[in-house]
Amino acid sequence: MIICEDAKKRRSGMPSWLKKELPDAESVRRLSSYLKDKSVETVCVNSRCPNISECYSSGNVSFLILGNICTRGCLFCAIKKGLPGGINPEEPEAVAAAVRGLGLKYIVITSVTRDDIPDKGSGHYAKTVKAIKKASPEVMVETLVPDFGGDKGLIDRVIDSGVDVLSHNIETTPGLYPRVRPGFDYARSLGILSHAAFRGKAAVKSGFMVGLGESRDETERLMRDIRATGCDFLTIGQYLRPKNSRLEVREYIPPERFSELKESALALGFKKAASGPFVRSSYRAGEFFKTEDL
Amino acid sequence: MKKVILPELGEGIEEAVISGWLISEGQGVKKGEDLAELTTDKAVFNVPSPDEGTLKKIIRREGDTVKPGEILAELE
Repeated sequence: MIICEDAKKRRSGMPSWLKKELPDAESVRRLSSYLKDKSVETVCVNSRCPNISECYSSGNVSFLILGNICTRGCLFCAIKKGLPGGINPEEPEAVAAAVRGLGLKYIVITSVTRDDIPDKGSGHYAKTVKAIKKASPEVMVETLVPDFGGDKGLIDRVIDSGVDVLSHNIETTPGLYPRVRPGFDYARSLGILSHAAFRGKAAVKSGFMVGLGESRDETERLMRDIRATGCDFLTIGQYLRPKNSRLEVREYIPPERFSELKESALALGFKKAASGPFVRSSYRAGEFFKTEDL
Repeated sequence: MKKVILPELGEGIEEAVISGWLISEGQGVKKGEDLAELTTDKAVFNVPSPDEGTLKKIIRREGDTVKPGEILAELE
């Protein structure tokens, strides 16, 4: 029998730094069933996030609104592409009730893209933020939005809903857009960040993945482009394939490189950067921000 | 006899591959000691021993695809 001691012997080729504690099945099940009961979806479950147990046991939840079928098909994302159904008009109140019921302090609201509806879902975002703020005024809310087709008026709806943090992920380098997120446009995505930074009402955050085949130079340029929009907060994490039909991981980036990326980000003037193999846009989002940052 | 069962790996994660056994058959283990290593698409996990004892029989071998709830080994 082979005794596995060396990471290189792993059949998957997955390096040792991607080791996780086994999830606390009980706490995940408890929270999942509570959320199911409230008829709310999370990106934690829908994206098959490896951090779910850690986040759920410490009360970090990222809600997924506007359904779980997406009108665009990004090749890094687990969510299904198709024609989404109607919008649940009770969803804003349901999310607000879950946030209040769980006593959450910081939450992330994200969604699929909804190119099938005229306002692209922006009105539903605004309603959800307002419902949460009304039910729990002390809760900090971050919205991780799609690009709303680049329509600034639609972005303004979300910004003006009273959200604390406006997030839009650039996800990858411009050269990889056709392969990784074919339905999106690099310049349009940067434009979302510039507009949000120009408005100045909410903190502006973005994130990207590494390990998709980008070069170091391309990554450095990507960070400069994001910083140039006025975006102050950045997350950087390892791309991990959520299912077999999605893009393969090209490279496992070691933790030391993530530390270097964080240093580069801070040197570029980002106020805060989270960078590490398991860092996700909404990973421990509440710890990332402190009141004085906002 | 105590069974080593693969616990839930998180919502939505339906299977994992055994990347290796860290303990051989016949070897003694403490409760909580790592028995085997598993990989999913998104992470590497160690499976801890549910009890103190001897690893009697390895049922699912390196390279096998396993699902939560399956019996991986027997302890005595």
